[in-house]
Amino acid sequence: MENKTIHPLEMMVVAISRLLKNGEVVATGTLSPVPAAGCLLACCTHGPDIVPMIYGDPENRISEGLFELFGLAQKGKVDVFFLSGIQIDQQGSINLSVIGDYAKPDLRLPGGAGSSMLYALCRRTILFSMNHTRRLFVPKVDFVNATAFDDGFVSPWRRGGMSHAVTPLCVMRFDGTRKRVVLDCLMPGVSVDRVAENTGFDLGSEGQEIPEVAPPSDQELALLRTEVRDRMRRIYPFFAETLWG
Amino acid sequence: MKIRDDLKVVRDPYSGKDYVVVPPVIPDVAVIHAVRGDRFGGITTIASRNDRLMAMAARTTIAVVEELVEPDEVLPGLQEVYVAPIHIEAVVLAAGGAHPTSCPGRYPVDAEHIRTYLEAARDEAAFREYLDVYILEPQDHSAYLRKVGFRYDGK
Repeated sequence: MENKTIHPLEMMVVAISRLLKNGEVVATGTLSPVPAAGCLLACCTHGPDIVPMIYGDPENRISEGLFELFGLAQKGKVDVFFLSGIQIDQQGSINLSVIGDYAKPDLRLPGGAGSSMLYALCRRTILFSMNHTRRLFVPKVDFVNATAFDDGFVSPWRRGGMSHAVTPLCVMRFDGTRKRVVLDCLMPGVSVDRVAENTGFDLGSEGQEIPEVAPPSDQELALLRTEVRDRMRRIYPFFAETLWG
Repeated sequence: MKIRDDLKVVRDPYSGKDYVVVPPVIPDVAVIHAVRGDRFGGITTIASRNDRLMAMAARTTIAVVEELVEPDEVLPGLQEVYVAPIHIEAVVLAAGGAHPTSCPGRYPVDAEHIRTYLEAARDEAAFREYLDVYILEPQDHSAYLRKVGFRYDGK
């Protein structure tokens, strides 16, 4: 291996890979290169029986567009999905629509697409973001596109919700008892203080020892930079080029 | 529902549960880019997009195709689906018609041109100039393709 330096995005890929369980049906949507790579890495390490449904993968033959995925999720056939947002809050809600007031937004985005339904109907959802800032992790999102759990009422269709959030700084998880997002583990070399400085809500980890994610094993790193990289070149060529040249 | 007064709650008569329903989107016109098509409107298009769904939903659908073939040659490839003529009102032959975006299996995204467009879109004057150079001045699609330096790599 010519370069032992681990890129923060590679660390995210490895952390995501380890969150996936063998045998799960794992789907990734549009603009999700890090989850796609995580899914592929899991497939060639501990998850040979994972069923990958990577949107845009030429090796994944599908019958019909994204709404086929929505139908599969409605039927309960998707175990894990990935979502992101321009804001994520302490309750695990995500915002993909507007920054500021809805009627007079500072920034208008394309919107939530299938996120609301998928967040409720997939067995679990892992949030991801390629940056970790106070602008992303806010106390309360400006607009709720999709929720991590049912608060105050029970919708007849909810099957799952937020499982984890993976960023370049840490892995967070959803604490079902406290109904909130908490810090789970730190990326190598990152301190709790650094996560706290860059997160707009408290991490729910007072008095706890927060472990570090183990760095990639030699096997993980080798596979990531060969098999996974080569498949990523066909699915997300710009991302692969940016990360691996 | 606070901001979308066209969303309604209905009771599912089978389960008795309440659901929020959304009115259907029925486009007046859908324009889709297809891999191949025949003179009667049968086409094959990329499965990962929602082209067939849009063609079936829209009142009028225009399919831009990479190549015109005989009806018995409108066979979907590995990543494609067939859309029947009943859903298609017009077929337009324009090889390279998806440029600067991609036609999977035929040609990739023209990243350089996308960057040119994004930069031009930042201000009004630059965007006017982009329109003149790439949209208004070229006399036809072939002239546009020559202008942007499109190279058709074939199948």
